[in-house]
Amino acid sequence: MNYLIHIIIIIQIYILLTLSFNLLLGYSNLFSLAHAAFYGLGAYTASLLMLNLNFNYFFTIPIIIIAASLFSIIVASPSIKLKGDYFMLSTMAFQILIFNIFNNWIELTRGPYGISGIPSPSILGYQLSGPYIYCLFISIVTLISITIFYRLHKSLFGLFLKSIRDDEMLSISLAKPTYKLKIISFVIAGIFASIAGSLYATYISYIDPTIFSLEESVFIMTAVVVGGSGNLKGPLIGTLFIITIPEILRFIGFPDSIAANLRQIIYAITLILVMRYRPQGLVGEYKLE
Amino acid sequence: MLELNEITKSFGGIKAVTNVSMYFTEGKITALIGPNGAGKTTIFNLISGFISPDNGNIQYKNIDITHLSPWDRAKLGIGRTFQDNRAFSNLTVLENVVLATKNSWFENPLNNIINYKKSKLEEEKIREIAKKHIEFVGLSEKIDTKAENLSYGQQKLLAFARLMMNDAELLLLDEPTAGINPYMINEILLLIKKLVKEHKKTVILIEHNLKVVLNIADFLYFLEEGEVKTFGTPSNVLSDPLIKESYTGL
Ligand SMILES: Nc1ncnc2c1ncn2[C@@H]1O[C@H](COP(=O)(O)OP(=O)(O)OP(=O)(O)O)[C@@H](O)[C@H]1O
Ligand SMILES: [Mg+2]
Repeated sequence: MNYLIHIIIIIQIYILLTLSFNLLLGYSNLFSLAHAAFYGLGAYTASLLMLNLNFNYFFTIPIIIIAASLFSIIVASPSIKLKGDYFMLSTMAFQILIFNIFNNWIELTRGPYGISGIPSPSILGYQLSGPYIYCLFISIVTLISITIFYRLHKSLFGLFLKSIRDDEMLSISLAKPTYKLKIISFVIAGIFASIAGSLYATYISYIDPTIFSLEESVFIMTAVVVGGSGNLKGPLIGTLFIITIPEILRFIGFPDSIAANLRQIIYAITLILVMRYRPQGLVGEYKLE
Repeated sequence: MLELNEITKSFGGIKAVTNVSMYFTEGKITALIGPNGAGKTTIFNLISGFISPDNGNIQYKNIDITHLSPWDRAKLGIGRTFQDNRAFSNLTVLENVVLATKNSWFENPLNNIINYKKSKLEEEKIREIAKKHIEFVGLSEKIDTKAENLSYGQQKLLAFARLMMNDAELLLLDEPTAGINPYMINEILLLIKKLVKEHKKTVILIEHNLKVVLNIADFLYFLEEGEVKTFGTPSNVLSDPLIKESYTGL
């Protein structure tokens, strides 16, 4: 039972990651490979503030939001003017840079050893620890986040972003400040990815750089491409798919060593099949080109 | 309403537009004609700000817009269509028109998230206006159709509805009748006339079909190799045997 709760918590953390990634890919047409960098930024910021400066988790949130916004603007403002592939390369460079900071700034991050003993969030002295309590807590966060993304999806703001995705030049000709709108969407995505990171850190209580590598960015991307983008269903289905596959393999009885490789193969094949035969993903609204 | 003063633009070695001066009167339909590659679309790109001139300046309602960004110019009321007939292809006709609203309140995501109720009410008003524009161009039956599933001609009509929603006062129409059947051409011409008469729009159109030009244009510029060769009323310019020959000789 605890194991099932664990999976539900992990799924919810990934829902934050894929919903925010979807805002980039499925709305503003920004193919970012830096999502895991923001995930890590939130995780490290929360952990270091809590461990070194005795911050309460909830007081790290405003700082995470500010840090994520700043970093988003730093990454986005020069990159967003670049065309598709170059934007992707430039976010990939940022992803690798951040990974190296996590990995090499040993005095601050303990590098590859990672940071352990990260405390759980607490409200008024009450620790939100133990799977059930934590699951309840993260469900509330997820519900709030889904509401926010739903409202963005349903609103004219979302429609403005989709107009950029479909035809940016036409959108500009209709007086849409597309550059600003893309930066804003990048900031929103960065904030939610960072919050997901802070939740992960306080839940698992241990982080190291490999969790936030380029591979993780690709993993998040895979979930959204497979599930589909441009609506909320797509990322939700994609997340379920990508998290439950390894569990199913384990359930069937593959030993861990084989399951890990098999999992990668299944992801890769699914990704290729989806891109070839169903470019809008399983339940997405927008065909990637 | 709009003035181009000694505008020059070259791409690499190609002189697309050379020392062009033009004047466009409010409430009139002005046509730009000329052979392929004459620089007509380039002039639209210069007016709407997608490219900037090497030389010269552009005045719109007595404002120097030469260095304004394309969206600033669109905000000032300069709207355009594209020669390659663009639309937001994954969005419905209604969404295509709704998003052309000038209401910038929605550009702040917090307004949409925190004031969700209010934003839905505002949006409902915008939808009603959009529906009127869609009706005006005769696309009411297609309101929930994705733009990519419209015919070529319907996409051109959709472009008009977007421009009306965008409150554009100056409409730059790049070959609005190209690739369209004769029945539809009439529809579009009526629409353009109605826009000028009833909605006080000013129109500049690029047009290869001389019948169309004679039918609706008040004034005409003939371009060739990036230069204005002649201008005047359509009947005057088009009765010039030299023009007739160089044009229909294509
Ligand atoms: N962005 C660009 N880069 C390079 N050359 C360009 C660009 N835009 C236009 N040109 C060149 O400028 C010249 C004028 O092109 P333009 O598109 O303005 O002609 P046009 O009069 O609209 O022709 P058509 O009737 O075929 O649409 C052409 O030689 C064209 O190749
Ligand atoms: Mg042209």
